[in-house]
This record gives sequence, structure tokens and C-alpha cells, in this order.
Amino acid sequence: MSVEAKETVMGNKNEFEPLIVAFCCNWCSYAGADLAGTSRLSYPANVKIIRVPCSCRVNANFVLRAFQRGADGVVIAGCHPGDCHYSTGNYYTRRRFSLLTNFLEYVGIEQERFKVDWISAAEGNKFATVMNDVLEKVHRLGPNRKLRDARWKR
Amino acid sequence: MEKIGLKVRARAKEALENREVDEVMGWKKGEFWYDVYPVFITEANEADDLIWDAFCVNNLSKYLIQKQKENKKVGVFLKGCDSLGFNQLLKDNRIDRDQVVIYGLPCVGMVDPEKVKKEGLNKGLLEIKRSKDEITFVTKEGEKKILGRQFDYDKCLACRYPNPVVYDELLDTEIAREVSEMDRFKDVEAIEKMSITERFEYWSNQFSKCIRCNACRNICPACSCEKCVFDNVNAGVSSKASVDSEEQFFHITRAYHVAGRCVDCGECTRVCPAGIPLDQLNHKIMKDINELYGKYDAGVDVSQDAPLVTYKLDDADSFTEHGKGGK
Repeated sequence: MSVEAKETVMGNKNEFEPLIVAFCCNWCSYAGADLAGTSRLSYPANVKIIRVPCSCRVNANFVLRAFQRGADGVVIAGCHPGDCHYSTGNYYTRRRFSLLTNFLEYVGIEQERFKVDWISAAEGNKFATVMNDVLEKVHRLGPNRKLRDARWKR
Repeated sequence: MEKIGLKVRARAKEALENREVDEVMGWKKGEFWYDVYPVFITEANEADDLIWDAFCVNNLSKYLIQKQKENKKVGVFLKGCDSLGFNQLLKDNRIDRDQVVIYGLPCVGMVDPEKVKKEGLNKGLLEIKRSKDEITFVTKEGEKKILGRQFDYDKCLACRYPNPVVYDELLDTEIAREVSEMDRFKDVEAIEKMSITERFEYWSNQFSKCIRCNACRNICPACSCEKCVFDNVNAGVSSKASVDSEEQFFHITRAYHVAGRCVDCGECTRVCPAGIPLDQLNHKIMKDINELYGKYDAGVDVSQDAPLVTYKLDDADSFTEHGKGGK
């Protein structure tokens, strides 16, 4: 590797690259992500998808843990209300994470870092938009230090 | 209160003598003027130890979980706030209603020893007596009477249920207290007005005082899990390291775990040795539940569904643009 090439690599390393953790429901949002991929829509590679059986499988600890261990933003994506594979799961998600969204803001976590949205299997486009949107907002906010474990290293 | 104290002792004695119950739970006087602790008595002659005074603040309902494992019929004295906790335990299927006899005690409010100390009235103090809102300070030199509620716990000043909501026998006449619903969440509103950075700073400062003694968890009638997530070492949520993130994790999780089940008894704030205003966290969630999913008071009505275990098809949410619940 030439010196210049090495420097650009180092330079890129110093630039802030947000890490987004996305909990996607197996039946809708994960398939939506798949569709976004097969349709060759571009969404950022910083989004790490964790597949969950249903959006209501996610509990608040998952979200807090993600922030603790390096996430700059967390997304929870599930089927639209009424479309849940298990009939009622996302109705519970809606109540639980409405409270958590407000609660995290109350303890001082920026609203933009935590996003819940409904993305169906047919909405590859929406998946890409939501992820790009979250990434852009988090990028603007800068690296997350709140809730972060002091021992965490990238 | 002294008259009711007599009734408390008489009723406990009678119940134990007639074997109506196997055990009675009540309060006993300790060494100092503010010292009152819970006792479990099984013999009728021990009933003379029981008291009812201005420091019987400890909620006895949570001890019922342990007692019921011993398969005993228990008689218990409950105040208004304790009875809310009792209902919540009942709803969480932690206790069996048939195995408990509740002696209800309407309560005018309990005296906060810290407030007495702050006023410097604790010097040479032997005893504090209370009848309604008149507080008598008994010292060696004599008695001093003060009228008013300035020594009551903050949580008692905001009390909404001075009378037990569930009981088998009521040992006193019901109390009528005016309660204003208006400023119930004014502590939350004050914090909501801060900027996001101020809010984070405020809460990090509060959380960093935490010594992880788990007192808030142990006293809470809603925190009744057999195995708590913070006791599971393998879950990796409680490594006892002295880092801010673990305290933040604990407090956010604690408040969130009692969402929709917190009866607002204020015990967590009272027992916190570090003085963290935990009720402000609980109040925020209660306020949101009331605003988003309709008015709900945990522990008042056992037949009503808790807000987080039910749903409506057209619920509001706080995260989509058309969700109507956003900030």
C-alpha cells in the first residue's frame, strides 16, 4: 500500500460512521429489507439488521443494550398494525414503544436516535428511505455518548 | 391515632385467639422516636407490641408473597396506598385473596423524620403523637403542639387514596381529604420543559448517585418477579461495575418494567438512600399512559385491564407522523 493510499484509509477511519441497529420483524420488515436489496435500492451499510420473530419480541433492554454497546441509533421495524403475522403482536409493540420513545426523550436521549416504524414486505422503498433518514439524522447529531458503556471500544 | 392503636391491638389479639388467622402483620415501635418496623406475630400475647402511629409508613402488602408460600392465612393492616399495592399483587397473581384478611386503616399522612430533623425539632425528642393534622412533639421538657402538614412525606401530601380501596374490616372512619388532580404531574412537566442536554445532565447526575442497593426494587409492590432480570448475572445487565451506563440501564429498565403497574405509592422514592427522585420517572410513564391510552390508575380496580397488556385497533402512537401522540 502506498503512503497516500494508507492515509486515505486512516482518514476515513477518523470520519464518523454511525452504527445503526435495526430490529426487523421476520415477516414484514426483514422481507422489506430483502426487497430493498433485490431491487438494488441503496441503503447504508452501517445498518446492522437483527431479525426478530415479531416486533413485539423486542424488549426495552434490547434497545438499551444496543446503545450501551456502540449503537448510535436504534430502529425497530414491524408489520403495519393489522398485518401482524401473529394477529396482535404489533398492537402491543405500538403501546410499549410509544411509551419508551417518550421515556427515552424524557431522560435525555435525542428523539432522532430511536425510531419505530412500520415497514411491510412490499415496502423495499420505504425501508431504504427510513434507514437513510435515520442515518442522516444520527450523522448530524454525531456519535452517541449517552447510555454508552465506558469500557466499550469500537 | 392512639384510639385506633388500641383497636389494632384488640383486633389482632382477637383474630389470633379465635384462630381466624395464623399470623398477623403489623408495625412495632423501635428504639428511636422515628423507628417503626414491620412485625409478624403468631401468638395472641404478642399483639400488645403492635402500634399505629405517625411512622407506620412501611407497606406490608409485599411481605404477603413470602407469607403465602408458607401456606398461612394472614391478617394484615393496610393503609390506602398499601391497599393499592395489594390490589396490584392480586392482579399479578402473586397472592391469594382468600388467604388474607385485610384490616383497613384510613391514614391522614405519615411524618417524615427528615423534615422534623431539618426543622431541628429532633433534639431530645421522645415521641411524636398525631391526631388528624395536629402533631405533638413530646420531649423531656414537655409537649409542643404544631398544627399543619408541613412534616408529612411529600408522597402523603399528594396522596389520592387516604382510605383503603380494598379491605375486610375498616378500623376507623373514612377520611375526606381534598386532592387536586391538577398538579399531579407538575414535576414531570418541569423536566419536560428543559432542553434535551439539560434533561440528560439532570438524570445522569441523579442516576450516578445510585449505589445499586436495590431497595427501590425490593419495596415495590409492582416489582414482584420471582427472578429479576438484574439478578441474572448471565444476562449481562448487572455487572456491578461503577459505570454510568449500568445505572442508567437499571433505572430506565426499572421504571419501564413497572409501566402500567406502578400504583404511585411513592415508596421507591422514600426508601432510596441516595435520594433519587424515582417517582418522577414513574410519573412520566403514568402521564403518557393517561394521555395516550386513557386514564388508568393501577391498583384501584382489579377488573380493569392494565394498559400494556391490552390494545385498541386505533391506538395512538408517539413515533409516526399521523400517530397523534408525538411531542
